[in-house]
Amino acid sequence: MFHVITGGSGSGKSEYAENLVLSAGEGERIYIATMIPYGEEGRQRVERHRKLRAQKRFRTVECYTGLENADIPPGGIVLLECMSNLTANEMYEPDGAHERTAEAILRGVDRLRARAKHLFVVTNEVFSDGLAYDEETMRYIACLGAVNCALAQRADAVTEVVYGIPVKVK
Amino acid sequence: MKLIIGGACQGKLAYAKETYHITDGWADGRSCSREELKDCRGVHHFHEYIRRMAAGEPAENLPDLERRASKFACALLRENPELVIVSNELGYGIVPVEKADRLWRELTGRVCTSLAAHADEVVRVVCGIGIRIK
Repeated sequence: MFHVITGGSGSGKSEYAENLVLSAGEGERIYIATMIPYGEEGRQRVERHRKLRAQKRFRTVECYTGLENADIPPGGIVLLECMSNLTANEMYEPDGAHERTAEAILRGVDRLRARAKHLFVVTNEVFSDGLAYDEETMRYIACLGAVNCALAQRADAVTEVVYGIPVKVK
Repeated sequence: MKLIIGGACQGKLAYAKETYHITDGWADGRSCSREELKDCRGVHHFHEYIRRMAAGEPAENLPDLERRASKFACALLRENPELVIVSNELGYGIVPVEKADRLWRELTGRVCTSLAAHADEVVRVVCGIGIRIK
């Protein structure tokens, strides 16, 4: 089962995705964290999420770039959050895939799909404010859009979470 | 008329081309003329057409903007009733700082709302997948 969960910022998509994992049956729960904790605010954010997940018996694996090399045991119930961070990391971190970001991410996702019992990927809707940004930001938006389309094509289910309400896309 | 909406970079045009079997005859809202809208089969970047329209003749106030939106939508429906319109969905973000951007966003919303009210089909595309909402 490969399920993609999308939604805006603060839409409740993380909690929804975690609950999907909890109801996905037996298996080791693995959380792939992609956000690099920059600064005090970032660190606190990560710490808060880590505590919440510990109660739900998740093992956290950090993966900021190079998803295809992530050390993920086979047969687990895997939650990757969030594709918007992973895409930014691959595009801008020194050890990222840069102009081959989308391909690198999709290779990583394909490997995870093959290894995991169930895979849940959280991504982000950043496409609908209508404003034109600088060229670099537009490149990021286009890349995340392409990744999302490719994920959705592969997925068994796609859900958009709107203020905590799951809307079935696929 | 068919209206295809969704965020930027979601595969809306690809969806429309495939679903309605329209490979050519597309007008580009970034550059097309008002005349082209009358006989093209589809128009994409429709929100950019509206941006140009709004910039050419800025609305004086909100009632004026609503009147113009409704007039434009009615004219399109009358002139080209089989038109497939692909537009970005705006208005899911922070209110823009620039007045021109605010008016453009509002006008796009009003025009698309009028079109949707009369459209045979309205599809919202998320992650490349179309969800028929009307």
